[in-house]
Amino acid sequence: MLNKTIVRLAVPLAVGALALTGCGDGGSGDGGGDTVKIGFQGPLSGDNVQLGQNMENGVRLAIDQANASGDYDFEVEYFAADDQGLPDKAPTAAQSAISEEVIAVVGPAFSGSADASAEYYAEAGIPAVSSSATRADLTTKGYGSFLRAVPNDSAQGAGMATYLSKSTDAEKVVVVDDKTDYGVGLADVAEQSLKDAGLEVVRHSVPQKTPDYSAAARNVVGADADALIYAGYYEDAGPFATKLDEAGFEGIRMSGDGSRDMQFVELAGDSANDWLLTCACTDPTQEEATKKFAEDYEAAFNQPPGTYSAESFDVANLIIEQIAETGGADSTGEKLLEALRAVEYKGITKEFSFDDTGDFTNQTIYMYEVQDREINYLGSVDKLTAK
Amino acid sequence: MSLNAFWDFLVLGLVLGCLYAVIAIGYTLVYGVLQLLNFAHSEVFMFGAFGGLLALTVWAPAADPAGVQSVVYVVVGLLAGAAFGGAVAYGLEKVAYRPLRRRGAPRLVFLITAIGASFFLYNLAGKLFGRNSLAMPNLYENRRVLTVFGADLNITQVIIVVSAVGMMVGLDYVVNRTKLGSGIRAVAQDPEVASLMGVDIDKVVSRTFVIGGLLGGAAGFLFGVNNKVVYTMGFLPGITAFAAAVLGGIGNVRGAMLGGMLLGVVETMTVFVWGEEWRYVAGFAALVLVLMFRPTGLLGERVGRTA
Amino acid sequence: MSATTSVNVRTARRLRAERWYQRPRWRRLAAMVALAVTMTLVTGAQGSHQDLFFALEENLTGVALWVWLALAVAVWAGREFLTPQVASAVSGSRALASGPLGRVREVWRADRRVRFGVLAVAAALAVLVPSGLDRYWQTVLVDQIAIFVLVAVGLNVVIGWAGMLDLGFIAFFAIGAYSAAYWTGALPVQPPMVLNNFAVIPIAVVTCLVAGVLLGAPTLRLRGDYLAIVTLGFHEIVYLSAKNLADYTGGTRGVKVDRFAVDLGFWSYEWGVVDAMPYYYLLLAFVAVVVFLFWRLEHSKVGRAWTAIREDEVAAASTGVDTVRYKLMAFAIGASTSGVAGVAYASKVGYINSENFVILLSVLVLAYVIFGGMGSIPGVLFGAAFLVWLPEALRSLVDPKDRYMYLGGLLVVMMIYRPQGVIPSRRRSRELKLARSGEVEGDGTTEPAGGRLS
Repeated sequence: MLNKTIVRLAVPLAVGALALTGCGDGGSGDGGGDTVKIGFQGPLSGDNVQLGQNMENGVRLAIDQANASGDYDFEVEYFAADDQGLPDKAPTAAQSAISEEVIAVVGPAFSGSADASAEYYAEAGIPAVSSSATRADLTTKGYGSFLRAVPNDSAQGAGMATYLSKSTDAEKVVVVDDKTDYGVGLADVAEQSLKDAGLEVVRHSVPQKTPDYSAAARNVVGADADALIYAGYYEDAGPFATKLDEAGFEGIRMSGDGSRDMQFVELAGDSANDWLLTCACTDPTQEEATKKFAEDYEAAFNQPPGTYSAESFDVANLIIEQIAETGGADSTGEKLLEALRAVEYKGITKEFSFDDTGDFTNQTIYMYEVQDREINYLGSVDKLTAK
Repeated sequence: MSLNAFWDFLVLGLVLGCLYAVIAIGYTLVYGVLQLLNFAHSEVFMFGAFGGLLALTVWAPAADPAGVQSVVYVVVGLLAGAAFGGAVAYGLEKVAYRPLRRRGAPRLVFLITAIGASFFLYNLAGKLFGRNSLAMPNLYENRRVLTVFGADLNITQVIIVVSAVGMMVGLDYVVNRTKLGSGIRAVAQDPEVASLMGVDIDKVVSRTFVIGGLLGGAAGFLFGVNNKVVYTMGFLPGITAFAAAVLGGIGNVRGAMLGGMLLGVVETMTVFVWGEEWRYVAGFAALVLVLMFRPTGLLGERVGRTA
Repeated sequence: MSATTSVNVRTARRLRAERWYQRPRWRRLAAMVALAVTMTLVTGAQGSHQDLFFALEENLTGVALWVWLALAVAVWAGREFLTPQVASAVSGSRALASGPLGRVREVWRADRRVRFGVLAVAAALAVLVPSGLDRYWQTVLVDQIAIFVLVAVGLNVVIGWAGMLDLGFIAFFAIGAYSAAYWTGALPVQPPMVLNNFAVIPIAVVTCLVAGVLLGAPTLRLRGDYLAIVTLGFHEIVYLSAKNLADYTGGTRGVKVDRFAVDLGFWSYEWGVVDAMPYYYLLLAFVAVVVFLFWRLEHSKVGRAWTAIREDEVAAASTGVDTVRYKLMAFAIGASTSGVAGVAYASKVGYINSENFVILLSVLVLAYVIFGGMGSIPGVLFGAAFLVWLPEALRSLVDPKDRYMYLGGLLVVMMIYRPQGVIPSRRRSRELKLARSGEVEGDGTTEPAGGRLS
C-alpha cells in the first residue's frame, strides 16, 4: 500500500525535479517551466509529529490528486518544512521553504511557530495559509502574507460558552486546559465567555503527557461542577475521559476540535459517550465529498484522517486552484496572495474566505456528540441554542 | 469531604507509587552492579507496554471479557510486557554496554551511550508502531471493588497494586535469598573480589539487566492499562522513577521501593493541593530537599550493603 | 574417593565443553544477523497504529531484509575467513599513512607559527564561507549551530574542566532568554526600565551567575550521579515555572522579543528579521570572545585548580585548593555563558515560549560536549556544530521523523569506538587512561563503571 503511494509520489516528484533542472535556475518560480511548489510547515518530527503528519498527508493527498486529475497544465510539487512545532525551529523551517522557492505554504501549523515565522513569509511575499493556528492575536500583528483558514479560538470558546449557558442548566463549569498553546488559548476564551454569561468557572490545568490522570480527574470531581470543558488534544482527552468516568464525574463533558477525532473515541472507549465536541468543521463522514476524502486518505496513507487532515486538504486544494487562476506555473507569490485574499472557495469541510486582516470570515461553530463509539453531528451552535 | 478527598488522593498516590517503585528497581539494580545511570531504562518500560499490547492484539480479547477470561488476559499482558522488557534490556546490555565495559570506558561515556540508545529505541518504536497514542483492549469491566478509609479502589488499581507488590516481594527474595542475588550483591560490593570468588561478572550483569527489564516491562504494561500506550511514554515516568531511585538511595533495592512510593504520594498530593501542573515541581523539589540533608538518599547507597 | 574425583572431572569437562553455537565465530554470525534485521527495521517502512504489525510484516517479508542479510553475512565471512588479508591491508594502509601523518604532527607540535597560521585560516573561513551559503543554511548556522556552540562551550567548563555532571544546563539558557525578554519589556510583567538587548547581556550574566551559585551551593557536596539528578530536577523546576507562571512569563503561548539594535545617536544599526548574516557575525564575535577567555582560563591558576579537583578532590583540598570556591566558580562561569547564549537566542528568534527549553535539550547539549571530546575547546566546538548540523542534513536523506533515531544510533556507535570523543583534550585522555588502569582515582566523569572485569 505504502509502496504504491511512494511510487505515486515519486513519479511526479522526479518529473518535477527533471523539469526544474532542465530549466536551470529560473529565478523565483516565475521562470520555472510548468512546476510549482507548495510547502507545508508543521511538526514533522519531535513530540507533536502525529498532528503534523495528519496535515502533511492531507496536503500531499490534495497535490497527488491535482496532479493525477490532469485538470491543470502545471505539475505541483510538495515541499516539507519541518519546524517540530517549536517556535525556535520555525524561522529555519520558513527559510528552507523560501529557499526552495515555494509559491505558497500551508501552515505554520502551530500558533507559536506561526508567530515566529510569519515575518519571514511576509518579507519573501509568500502566502502562508494556516489550517490550524487558532490563536486569536495572530491576525492582528500585521503579518502581510498570513491567512488563517480556520476560525480562531474566540469563536470556538464563545460557542462552547453559549451552548452551556443557553442549552443546559449548568451553573458551575470546570475549564481544563492542557498547557499547550492551543489549549490555553481556547480555555482562556471559554473561561471569559462563561463568566460573561454569568456562570461560575473553576480553572484547572492538566499538562499533556501526564503519567496518571486519576488525580486530575478526582480534582475535577472535587470541584463539584455541573459541566467540564477540556481544551486540548485527543491524545490526552482519551485517557482523561476514562479516568473521569472512573472517578464518577457525572456532569456535562465538552471539548473542542483538538479532540474531535475518532482516535479520541478509540482511546476512551465507552467513557467517551455523551461527550460534546465543538468544531468549526462540518462532519467529514456526512457528505459524499468528505466520505470520498476519508477513503482516499486511508488508501494512500494506511490510516484514517486525523485532526485537521481534511482542512489541510482543503487549503491545499484552494491554493492549487488559485495558482491555476493566476496563471499556473507563471503565477507568483504576490499575485497568488492577492487572489487568495479575495477568494470564495467551497471545500469539503467548509467555505473559505478571508477578511481584511487575513482572518477567516466564516466563524460558525458546529456541535457533535459521541454516542456508541461514533461522533454524531448535532448542528451549528447558533441553531441549537436558538430554539 | 476534605478528609475523604485526602484518603482518595493518598490511595491514588500509592497506586502510582507502586508503578514508580517497580520501574525504579530497574535503575537501582543496574546502578548497583555498574554504577551506571541506565538512561535507556525508560525505553525498556515503553517496549514493555507495546509488548503487552501486541500480545493482546494477537490474542484478540473477546468483546466483554469477564471472570477467568479477564484474569488470563491480564496475566498474558503482564508476561508479554515483561518478556519484551527483558529482551530489550538484554539486547541493550549486549550491544550498547558490554563493549564499553570491555574497554573500561568511563561512566560518562556509558551515560551518553544510554542517551543515544534511548533516542534510538523510542524513535524506532515510533517508526514500527506508528506515533499515535493507543489504548489497551478492554480486559475487564472496570468497577469499584473495595473501599479503604472511604477511598474507592477499582479493578485497575487493585491489579496494579497486587502485581507491583508481588513483583517487589519476588525481587526482594531473589536479591536476598538466591544464588543469583548473592552474585548481584557481591558484584555490587566489589567486582574484583567477586570475580576472584568465581562469580561470572558478565553473566551477573546481564541477568541484572534482564531482571530490571522484566520488572520495567511489566510495569509498562500496567502503565498502558492505566493510561495509554505511545512511543514517547517512557521519558517522564522514567525520569521520575530515576529520581525515586536516587531519593531512596541509588543502588539500594528497598530504597527504590520506598522512593517510588514516596514520590507517587508526594506528586499526587501536590495535584490535590496545587493542581496537576505542579506535579513534577514538587517531586523534584522533594528530591533536592532530601538530598541536601541526606546526600546518599533516604536509605543510603548500594545493593550490597543494606538490602 | 576416586568415584567423586571422576564425577568432578566429568562435571568439569561438561562445564568446559562448548556447544557449537557458543563458539565466537557463530556468535559473531548471530550478531551480524541480528544487526541485519535491526537495519531492515530501521530503514524500512513506517508503521501504522491501525495495524500494529504492518511495519514488521512489510519489512520482514520484503527484499530489503535479504539485502541486509547478504551484506551482513558477506562482512562476517570477510572478517572470518580473510582475516590475514584484511589485517595486512589495514596495517599496510596505516603504515603508509603514519609516515606523513607523524611528520605533520611533529611540525604541528613544534612550530607555533603553523598553529597560528591554521587558526587564522580557520577564522578566515568561518568569517567568509557562510555568506556564500543558501539562506536556509545560514539560518541553521545562526539559530541553531552558533547558539548551541556557545552553550556547549559553557557546559564544557562545568563538565570538562571541573568534572561535575550537569544534566540541567539549559535551565540557565532559559534564564538568560527570559532575562532578555523581561528587560526589553516583552514579558507580561514590566521591568523598572526597558533596556537595549545588548545592555541585557551583563544583567543576564549576573542573573545566571547568581542562579548558578544558588543551585551550586547546596548541591556541591553531592557526588557525580546525585549532582546529575539534582541539576536535572533544577531544570525541570525552571522549565515548569516558566510554563506554569504564564502571568509572568507568557507560558506556552510565548512572548515576542525585540531584536538586537544599536543606537549611538550618530550611528544606529538594526539587526533585521530575515537576513541571518548580521547575527552570524555577532554570534561569531561572542563565540570568539568566550573561547579566547576560556582558553586563557584553562591555563591559568583557576584552570589548574579545576584539574586538581577533577583528578583528586581530597588531594586538592589538602594542598590548599579551595574546592568549594572553585567548583562554584565553574558553575557560575558555565551558567553565565549559557545565559549569554540565551539572550542572543531570544533576540535572534524574536519569540520564546517555555517549550523551547525542554529537558531533552539539556541531555542533547551534554551529548554534544562528550561527543566532541570534553575538556577540549576545538572538540566541543566541533561536537556541537556537527551534532546540530547532522539532523538538518539528514532531513533530505531520510524520513525527517526518523532523524533522531539515526542520531541516537550514531551516538551509541561513536561512544563504543571512540569514547574519548572526536577531538579529545590531551590531558583528559591521559586521565581516562590512568583511571582505567587504576593509577589515579577518577572523578565522576572519568572513573570506569563497575563490573568491568570480565
